[in-house]
Amino acid sequence: MKNRQSKLWIWFPIFSLILLMSMSLSVTLGAANISWQLVWQIIFSKIPGLNLFNQASWSASTETIVWDIRLPRVLLGAVVGAALALAGAIYQGVLRNPLADPFILGVSSGASFGAALVFVFGWQVFWLGQFTLPAVAFLFGFLSLLIVYFLSRVNNKVRLETIILAGVVVQSFVGACLSLVLALSNEQLQTIVFWMMGSLALTDWSYNQIIFPIILSISVISTFFIKELNMLGLGEEAAHHSGVSVQRTRFILLILASIITGAAVSVSGAIGFVGLVVPHIIRLMFGADYRVVLPLSIIGGAIFLVGADAFARTILAPREIPLGVVTAFLGAPFFGYLLRRAKRGYF
Amino acid sequence: MLDLQNVSKTVDEKPIVNQVSFSVQKGKSIGLIGPNGAGKSTIVKLISGLEKPTNGLIQLMGKDVQQWSVKKLAQHTAVLTQEGLSPYPITVFDAVLMGRYPHLGFFQREGKKDFDLVEHVLETTGLTAFKDQMLDTLSGGERQRVAIAKAMVQQPQMLLLDEPTTFLDIGHQKNILNLVKDWQRRDGLTVLMVLHDLNLAAQFCDELILMNKGKVVDIGSSEQIIAKETLEQVYHANPEIIRHPKSNIPQILL
Ligand SMILES: Nc1ncnc2c1ncn2[C@@H]1O[C@H](COP(=O)(O)OP(=O)(O)OP(=O)(O)O)[C@@H](O)[C@H]1O
Ligand SMILES: [Mg+2]
Repeated sequence: MKNRQSKLWIWFPIFSLILLMSMSLSVTLGAANISWQLVWQIIFSKIPGLNLFNQASWSASTETIVWDIRLPRVLLGAVVGAALALAGAIYQGVLRNPLADPFILGVSSGASFGAALVFVFGWQVFWLGQFTLPAVAFLFGFLSLLIVYFLSRVNNKVRLETIILAGVVVQSFVGACLSLVLALSNEQLQTIVFWMMGSLALTDWSYNQIIFPIILSISVISTFFIKELNMLGLGEEAAHHSGVSVQRTRFILLILASIITGAAVSVSGAIGFVGLVVPHIIRLMFGADYRVVLPLSIIGGAIFLVGADAFARTILAPREIPLGVVTAFLGAPFFGYLLRRAKRGYF
Repeated sequence: MLDLQNVSKTVDEKPIVNQVSFSVQKGKSIGLIGPNGAGKSTIVKLISGLEKPTNGLIQLMGKDVQQWSVKKLAQHTAVLTQEGLSPYPITVFDAVLMGRYPHLGFFQREGKKDFDLVEHVLETTGLTAFKDQMLDTLSGGERQRVAIAKAMVQQPQMLLLDEPTTFLDIGHQKNILNLVKDWQRRDGLTVLMVLHDLNLAAQFCDELILMNKGKVVDIGSSEQIIAKETLEQVYHANPEIIRHPKSNIPQILL
C-alpha cells in the first residue's frame, strides 16, 4: 500500500516532467529552426499580466509558427494520447481482457463511418460549421457503442463475453458499411483513408478548446473509480460481494471510456495502438494496481503520442507519415521487447 | 438474522430451488449439505443478492434482501466461494484492504483505522509474512486465506461460504474452518456454509440443512441428519456411520 503510493508520488512528477520536455522539444522540430528557450518565451508572453519579455525579440512569423501552428498540434497530440491510453486502461480493466483497446466496442468504426459520410456527402451542419466532422464522428461512434451495449444485454445483465462478441459483430457490420462508402466514393477516397489512419495535421486551438475540457473532466471522474477497477480485477462475483454494483459501475466506466475515445477519434482519426500498448507498458513497469496504472497511463499516453507525432512529421519531411502507422511502428517492437523481458504474467 | 420463506428460483421453466424455507439465528453456524445440483450454490447466490428469487422472500435482519443496496448488503454479509479471488497481481495487503470498500464513502479513502485493522487481521490469519507478496504468486490455499482475511476486514454480521475448502489439503481445510469457528465465537458471527465433506460439516456446524433436487429434505442437528437411511436416500450411497472418538460426533466412512 504505502510503497505503491510512494511509487506514484515519485513517478507522476517524473512522467509529467518528461511530458513537458517532449512537448517543448516537439514544438522546436520542423522546417523553421526554433530553440526551446524561444518557445517558452513565446508561451510566457501569451500569459496576460506577465510581462517578462516585453520587447519581443522574435518575428511575428515565428510567433505564428509556434503559437498558432505547432503548439496546438502538440497539445492536441498530448490530449488525444492521454485520452486513448486512459480509455484503453479502463476498457482492459472493465472487460478483464488484455487485448481490449479503445476501439474494441466499435466506437472507432462508428466514428470512421460517420466521418466518411461527412467527407463523401460534404455535409455541413450550418451551426456546427467546421465542427460538423468531429460532431458527426462522435455521434456515430457513440451510437455504435449503444448498439453493442444493448445487443449484449440479456435479462438486465451484460456478460463480458457477450459484450466483446457484440463489439466484434457491430465492428464488422459498420466496417462493411464503411467499405461500401469507400467503394462508392471517388476523389474523397484518399482523404477518408488518411483520416482513418489518424493525423494531427490541420489542428488549431478550436479543437483543443473542445476536447481538452472533455478529456480533463473525464480523467478526473475516472480516478474516482480506481478502487472499483481494482476490485473488478479480483473477479466479478468477488467485487459484488465486497459491495461493488458491478453492472452499474461497468456501465458508467464503459460510457466514460467511450466518450473520451469518441472525442479523441473525432478530432484525430482512429490512431491505433496507443490505447492497447501504453497501459500494458505501465503495468509491466509498475504492476497492475490501478492507483498507479490510471494516472501514469494518462501521462504516458500523452508522451507516447507527442513523440510519435514528432516522428510522423519530421522523419520524411516535408511529407507526413500517418500517425497510426508510426504508433504501430514504435509501439509494437517496444511492447514485444517488454513482453519477452517480463518474468511473469502481469494481467 | 436470516429468514427464507418459500423461496423458489426457476430457470427456463426448471425449478432449481423449490419452496425453500429456513431461518438462521444470530451467532449460529449452519451447514448446507446435499448432492451435486441440489441448489446449494443457488441459495447462496440468492442470499448474497447475485440472483433474484422467482418467488418467496429472503429477509436479512428483518428486511427484504432485494431492498438492500449492494454496498449495504456487503456491510453486513461477506461471501467466500470456491473460486475465491482471481490471481490478480496486486499485493496481499491491498487485496485485503478492499474488504473495507463497503464501509467507505464514494470520495473517501482508507485511513489509519483501516490500515490498522488490515494489519491486525493479517496477523490473525497468519498472513503477515505474505503482506507484500503479489496475489498471483500465492498458492490456492494461501489465496483462500487472503479471501478469508478480506472477509474479516469487511466486519460482517453474517458469513456465507460456498465450498471454501474444495481446493485445500486437510491441514488447510481445518485451518480455514477453525478461523471461521474462532471468528464466530469471538464476534457472534452468523455462518451459513455449503460443505461437501459431511464429516467437516458435522464437526463445524451447529445445525445442518440437507437439500436435494432444490428442496429442503431435513433440518436438524448432526445426530439427526448424519443417519444411515437419510443419507442413503439422498446420496444413493450407503455409508457406515461411526462416532468420532474424541467428540462423539457422528462421522461417515464410505
Ligand atoms: N443459470 C442456470 N441456468 C440453468 N440451470 C441452472 C442455472 N444455475 C443453476 N442451474 C441448475 O440448478 C441446479 C442447482 O445448481 P447449484 O449450483 O445450486 O447446485 P449445487 O447444490 O451448488 O451443486 P454442487 O454441489 O455441484 O455445487 C443444477 O442442476 C444446475 O444445473
Ligand atoms: Mg455449488
